[in-house]
Amino acid sequence: MAARGTVLASLVLACLAQACCGNVLFSSLQRTLIVSASPHPGQVLKAGEDKITVTWSYNQSFAAGTDAAYKTVKVKLCYAPVSQVDRAWRKTVDNLAKDKTCQHAIAAEPYSLSGNRSLEWVVQKDVPEATYFVRAYALDAAGIQVGFGQTTDRNKTANLFVVQAITGRHASLDIAAVCFSAFSVVSLFGFFLAEKRKAKPCSTPN
Amino acid sequence: MDSPPPQKFPLPVDSEHKATEFRLFSAAKPHMRAFHLSWVSFFACFVSTFAAPPLIPIIRDDLNLTATDIGNAGIASVSGAVFARVAMGSACDLFGPRLASASLILLTAPAVFCMSLASSPASFLVLRFLIGFSLATFVSTQFWMSSMFSPNVVGTANGMAGGWGNLGGGATQLIMPFVFAIIRDLGAIKFTAWRIAFFIPALFQTLSAFAVILFGQDMPDGNFKELEKEGDKPEDEFSKVLYHGVTNYRGWILALTYGYCFGVELTTDNIIAEYFYDRFDLNLHTAGMVAASFGLANLFSRPMGGVISDVVGKRFGMRGRLWTLWAVQTIGGVLCVILGRVGSLGASIAVMIGFSIFCQAACGLTFGVVPFVSRRSLGLISGMTGGGGNVGAVLTQLIFFKGSRYSKETGITLMGVMIICCSLPIALIYFPQWGGMFCSPSAGNGRTEEDYYLSEWSVKEQESGFHQASAKFADNSRRERGRRLVASADTSPDAESHPPVRV
Repeated sequence: MAARGTVLASLVLACLAQACCGNVLFSSLQRTLIVSASPHPGQVLKAGEDKITVTWSYNQSFAAGTDAAYKTVKVKLCYAPVSQVDRAWRKTVDNLAKDKTCQHAIAAEPYSLSGNRSLEWVVQKDVPEATYFVRAYALDAAGIQVGFGQTTDRNKTANLFVVQAITGRHASLDIAAVCFSAFSVVSLFGFFLAEKRKAKPCSTPN
Repeated sequence: MDSPPPQKFPLPVDSEHKATEFRLFSAAKPHMRAFHLSWVSFFACFVSTFAAPPLIPIIRDDLNLTATDIGNAGIASVSGAVFARVAMGSACDLFGPRLASASLILLTAPAVFCMSLASSPASFLVLRFLIGFSLATFVSTQFWMSSMFSPNVVGTANGMAGGWGNLGGGATQLIMPFVFAIIRDLGAIKFTAWRIAFFIPALFQTLSAFAVILFGQDMPDGNFKELEKEGDKPEDEFSKVLYHGVTNYRGWILALTYGYCFGVELTTDNIIAEYFYDRFDLNLHTAGMVAASFGLANLFSRPMGGVISDVVGKRFGMRGRLWTLWAVQTIGGVLCVILGRVGSLGASIAVMIGFSIFCQAACGLTFGVVPFVSRRSLGLISGMTGGGGNVGAVLTQLIFFKGSRYSKETGITLMGVMIICCSLPIALIYFPQWGGMFCSPSAGNGRTEEDYYLSEWSVKEQESGFHQASAKFADNSRRERGRRLVASADTSPDAESHPPVRV
């Protein structure tokens, strides 16, 4: 009896897990949101300094009621194909649970049925140097993607912008690295000199 | 025979004052202290050399690396040591392991500090290449152990020092992410935190070199310079050391076969996390832990190889050491083939652990044979073998794991086949005084341990008494005949004291 209950529970959990986390195919989503972002095509933004203003709204050309299930909108910064070349950790896969195209979250907001929403986002300091576009997913109450919109076209070649990352280097780190390096080499020669000086008078082995 | 040496060592010693016992929990000067200094400094170098892989997910975003850049840097990290190991071998023969290893460690520490300055794929590759030179400390470790420990425990000493040093490659997969997390939680941003994190292995490396210089000593009786001054140890010539090392075919065979136990271990260290990540969809953190366990098996598997070599050597002599080396390495190859074929996660991990144990034990067994190949050019032979290990790593990664010609699982299976094939040359190793895998020792005159080791010294050198250490070693290595034959040898005239001149 207990065993049956456990099996049933795990089956239900598996189904839920499937539903919420797996097996939504990107190709099955409709482009029901119109998304635009402030950077012009080819603009270079500085991480940590520049801002992106993202605006999204429901595409009225779709039948009314398509957006009835929409509860949240998640806006993300996504890699353009040119930044995915030879980088399997940014691969585009149709199964959204395994897709790695959009790795940087811009915002998550409740969906509003009327009008458009817009927000401003400072490009985070940990965003790597790459070419990007902006995509917004519409999620239902269970957190499953049910619609999307993006600033670029189907092939992800139009309207892309570049982020120039910070290097993470600091002058103090550079100086510390050089000082410690010099110290290592100098101390080696220091030891050699000390050995030579010790060896000059006739000495017994240590 | 010499009168027994005045007992001034904490451990029992032989006629060369090498310890005949290995006591792990002692730090007695000079033998066990040398052991602890050598494995810790080698461990530090391994931690530095493989400090980048666990942080790659952050470094690749900061430096804008592609998969090709990462692969090339991985190959570069192990290729520097190919020649560095050979050079280190000669340096040990000429200057002693203490100064040779400390010099290398202090000269490569700047590259680890300067990792924080890296700003492009090119600089990343160059730095990994330079840091990789520090893996040549392996040779000084083995040379130092072979100088401090008698033939009956040399396999154990070499295996433990090598194994616990190699452990650094596994430990770093746990240490670096941990250090990075602490620094990031203290307020540094990701792209700065990884740079600061590299100061830890760099400082560890520098301090271990200081310890080696301040507390270490080359040989049981003192350091090279002092012994040379007092005439206890003749200063050797590089050209002679080189000649006797390079012309000894056994060194070349062991270099090849070591490429297919240690080289394979390095290759696996570089690719296994990605393999589990891609094939079984583990997350990076879990895949990293699996990768760490491959390297952490070195804690016991490589020392075990050395111990087995000594135990087998006691009973069956050198022939036993050779047979066991071949068998263990070949079984490792078979497990590698299976690893590529197995499709489930649990079975893969089990086979991988079995593969790591046999592969690393084979490394330990190899260095149970190396100390006997040459006495005069011990360092160079150790260096050639060690360098051969890295050549194997470079070759294997280039042939099977670069680009998308083979899937990773096919690459692993083919690597296993290559291990099996490249272990066969062990059968060609033959010592006239002890035999080989298939041939028994040559009977008759002119085929003793003395003949073998003293043939490295010319008549003139022997007249000047340069060969004394080799002669003592020849005497001490007589137990490599195996139990049965040692008993009969004690009654033969060959067990006489070494004649001063050989024609």
